[in-house]
Amino acid sequence: MVGVGALALGVVQPARAADPVTLTIWTFGDVIEPIMVKDYKALHPEVTLQIKKSDLDPLNGTNMVTACTAGNGPDIAAVEVSYSGYWRSYPRCFTDLRTIKNSAGKSAKDIQGDYLPWRWAQGVGYDDSVIGIPTDVGGLEVAYRTDLFKKAGLPTDRAKVSALWPTWDKFIATGQKYMKSVSKADQKAGVGFMDSAGTIYSAVLNQGTTKYYQNDGTDSGKLVYATNPQVKKAWDTTIKALNAGIGTRISQFTADWNVGMTKGTFAAILAPAWMMDYIKSQAPDTAGKWDIASMPGGGGNQGGTQLTIPASAKNKAAAWDFITWYLAPEQQLKVFKTYGLFPSTPALYKDPALTEYKDPFFNNAPVGQIYSSGILKLKPIFEGKLNRAIDQAFGAGLGRVASKKQTADKAWQQVLTDLKKVTGQ
Amino acid sequence: MSAVVESKPSKGGGVSKRPLTPWKAPKQSTVKPRKVNGIGSLNGNWAYLFTAPFFVMFLIFGLAPIIYSTYIAFFNWDPLAMGDQQFNGLENFQNLLTDSRFWIALGNTLDIWAMSTFPQMVISIGLAAILRSKFLKGATFWRTILLVPNITSVIAIAIVFGQLFGRDFGMVNMVLGWFGIPHVDFIEGTTSSHIAIATMITWRWAGYNALIFLASMLAIPDELYESAQLDGASAWQQFIYVTLPQLKNTITFVLIVGTIGGLQVFAEPLTLGGSMDGGSSRQFSTLTLFLYEQAFVNNKWGYAAAVGILITVIVLIVSLINFFITRRLAGEDTK
Amino acid sequence: MTVLKLPTLGAAKRSPKHQRLNKIAYLLLALMAFLSVFPFYWMFVVASNGSDEISKIPPTLIPGPRFLKVVADVYSVVPFNQALINTAIVGIVVAVSQVLFSALAGFAFAKLSFRGRKFMILFVIGTMMLPSQLGIIPLFMLISKAGWFDTLTALIVPALVTAFGVFWMRQIIDAQVPNELLEAASIDGASVPRVYWSVVLPIIRQSAFVLGLFSFLATWNDFLWPGLVLSSPQNFTAQIAVSQLKASYVLDYALNMGGAFMATAPLLLLFIFVGRKLVTGVMDGAVKG
Repeated sequence: MVGVGALALGVVQPARAADPVTLTIWTFGDVIEPIMVKDYKALHPEVTLQIKKSDLDPLNGTNMVTACTAGNGPDIAAVEVSYSGYWRSYPRCFTDLRTIKNSAGKSAKDIQGDYLPWRWAQGVGYDDSVIGIPTDVGGLEVAYRTDLFKKAGLPTDRAKVSALWPTWDKFIATGQKYMKSVSKADQKAGVGFMDSAGTIYSAVLNQGTTKYYQNDGTDSGKLVYATNPQVKKAWDTTIKALNAGIGTRISQFTADWNVGMTKGTFAAILAPAWMMDYIKSQAPDTAGKWDIASMPGGGGNQGGTQLTIPASAKNKAAAWDFITWYLAPEQQLKVFKTYGLFPSTPALYKDPALTEYKDPFFNNAPVGQIYSSGILKLKPIFEGKLNRAIDQAFGAGLGRVASKKQTADKAWQQVLTDLKKVTGQ
Repeated sequence: MSAVVESKPSKGGGVSKRPLTPWKAPKQSTVKPRKVNGIGSLNGNWAYLFTAPFFVMFLIFGLAPIIYSTYIAFFNWDPLAMGDQQFNGLENFQNLLTDSRFWIALGNTLDIWAMSTFPQMVISIGLAAILRSKFLKGATFWRTILLVPNITSVIAIAIVFGQLFGRDFGMVNMVLGWFGIPHVDFIEGTTSSHIAIATMITWRWAGYNALIFLASMLAIPDELYESAQLDGASAWQQFIYVTLPQLKNTITFVLIVGTIGGLQVFAEPLTLGGSMDGGSSRQFSTLTLFLYEQAFVNNKWGYAAAVGILITVIVLIVSLINFFITRRLAGEDTK
Repeated sequence: MTVLKLPTLGAAKRSPKHQRLNKIAYLLLALMAFLSVFPFYWMFVVASNGSDEISKIPPTLIPGPRFLKVVADVYSVVPFNQALINTAIVGIVVAVSQVLFSALAGFAFAKLSFRGRKFMILFVIGTMMLPSQLGIIPLFMLISKAGWFDTLTALIVPALVTAFGVFWMRQIIDAQVPNELLEAASIDGASVPRVYWSVVLPIIRQSAFVLGLFSFLATWNDFLWPGLVLSSPQNFTAQIAVSQLKASYVLDYALNMGGAFMATAPLLLLFIFVGRKLVTGVMDGAVKG
């Protein structure tokens, strides 16, 4: 369907302060945190935030497609990072945030410097238009169980643990050492070193500079997944981990995984910052038994969102005012203090609130410092239209190897044939 | 009263596996008055008025969207694309018929459908037979319970069943463990995942269909049972020779509707697996899930529309097969 | 004769009329009741105990104290009472409409002879075979153009008729309404609408009621379509309202189960009252008029 993209985007004048405005916002989960809604209401009593939450698939899939084609989208829409590859190919569904100024006269160009470059890049269309501003950062470090490490004869101090695995190979070797101390009966019952070896794949992939596409200026980008050495490296490392048997058979975010956390079925998780709260709520009895060590290979990321203004939004100026406020460093700091979501504004990484932040559940680990150092290491990666589909194919391939349905070579071959069908190449 | 107990002299086939019973259903004339199922003296023109609301509404809100979707099956369609869509004729269909993922989805769908339709039919009729009894104590209570599975949201139930079927810590495996059976992986296995999904579907719909059968059973006149009783029919025979023939229409209905629904199963595999590919080896990818995946993950809307059309054709074929088999078994032409 | 294989359970169970139901029958009923209710009960247990409880082995089987907090959370996030009212309005209008139009059309297909009848009933059945996922986006465009986005109208209008209902009413009327009765009425001079009103409707009363119930249920549980067309919280239906509880990436089991429970409980309460009607209506509806 056509037509919507023809909206001319000139510079939009900021709205006069006193006109009552209702901003419709589509999100998933608590992307717009409740306490911030109250704060904004106090600052701008004339603005009402009307939030609708949906699951990712209707929202970032169906809802946003219909919003773009039928032209009845919200004022603000949250786009999750795994969908950003897709939406970056259709910038015409969004307002180019470089062309709009808030009440302080700032456009996207003016605030770009506040944000992590690679996080910012996830909201930039293939034609360089800015379609979304980043919210929090997931980051990725290793959460490990000190008590279980001790039992296995491994060091427990986080500096020593981080020194165990500067590379992925050493990480896998540590895992094998751990498994040696696990009894045969336990191994049969499914105990492992880490929860899911499959998580290594995206961790390694995000440590590079290219994934599945290269930006060639067209809306779909150039497919490079078959030849990109980073992809092969991520695949091979994961296969190595799978073959070394260091992971359990459990998948993340399943009921078995929750139980496993409490029972100590695994001793290590590649954990983004937002997962810490989850561990706390699922396994409260393990308080103080966890710690955080740094990632092999240096830094990683899982998750993240961009706030966008769809092209058909009715209140663009007010929406932009809200977005620039909500995602400004001061507000991100408050969100961090209240909800633990890691900010995407590097200036805060020097703020005492982050540098001195210690979490007693994780043995008083200075999580602010640990995560920010990892986060700063990542580089922008271009993502293309079929990112999600390609991720899915690789994930399925690794899954087949994990459940021993296929050898690694056969699985790789099948991934390539599957992807030929998906990408039409 | 029209002839409601239809029968033929016992055939040489299945029925006579039973030893000769002292009671045979009475032979009745099978000649129907004048028009088959149409009343000659009623003015048929009213039919156009009576069916008009349905057809008009359906044409606008049901058919038009489908026709549009069918149209796009002949294109390489991207709803967000600028400019014209690329017409590619039958290419989507050709690719589809040679696409192994489609055939896998078809196999899975048929397997799940068989597992969830036939046992469920048996359970539903059985439940209805029990619930029909005038002597049932607490009838209201039991009948209300019938619908509890159906009123709970599919997604919440899929989460609950996902837990129950968990490989390491799920309750089903716990119970299996008591009997010394090793844990079953209800997600990774093909047959086991089908069983899990079929269980969810049966759980949800058995009571619903039982209610449909119950409503029909209660409309069977008591006189029929009384006369059968007088002829010396046992309870079981009454069920076979009075109840079941009267339920023919309803059985056909439930079977067809169940087939249509069963071949379009979507929410259960989606929530069980958490992704649209139906598992790492697509072990529970179903046809509608595959359709959705093509549109929303692979961004191939024309291809998805082609899948939709093929789903319709498949459902049609299976329903027709169902229908003819049911008619043969019932032994009588009713249309 | 049908050769449907049935499990050979006690003969007493199969007799609707003359024998008391034996213990096996009640055992089976109890089993059915347990299996039907247990997942629902489990939802309540999870909701009232909090997410960490479900990870415990062995799992807690007794409800806990936190359910009221979940209820409070739901109410603080969305106008839940309004959502219940919205869902009831849509459900009732759709149910009445579907029963009305389905019975009319079903009667025509069952008892009137007219040109194209065979084709049309097959067409109706055929339309049920079209997967709904296929038409959802074009339907959305249509609704949007009509200006019904974010209104209850968008939920009601496309659901005013249903092929399922037409098909079912056809089967029911065909089986339950004897031709002789219709002949007799028509010979007495009644017009077709009169015959429909006085003869057919009383006979199919309880099946029509059941159809209405099913329509109401389907509307209540519908999730994908309302999720697509509704945007303002005051227009939400019950399912959408409780799904607003979701936190971020991770599934808070307790909240989700609590929400699902709250979206279902009103229905359950409704059934406890309606269930009585179902039984009495059904018992005397079996006698032909």
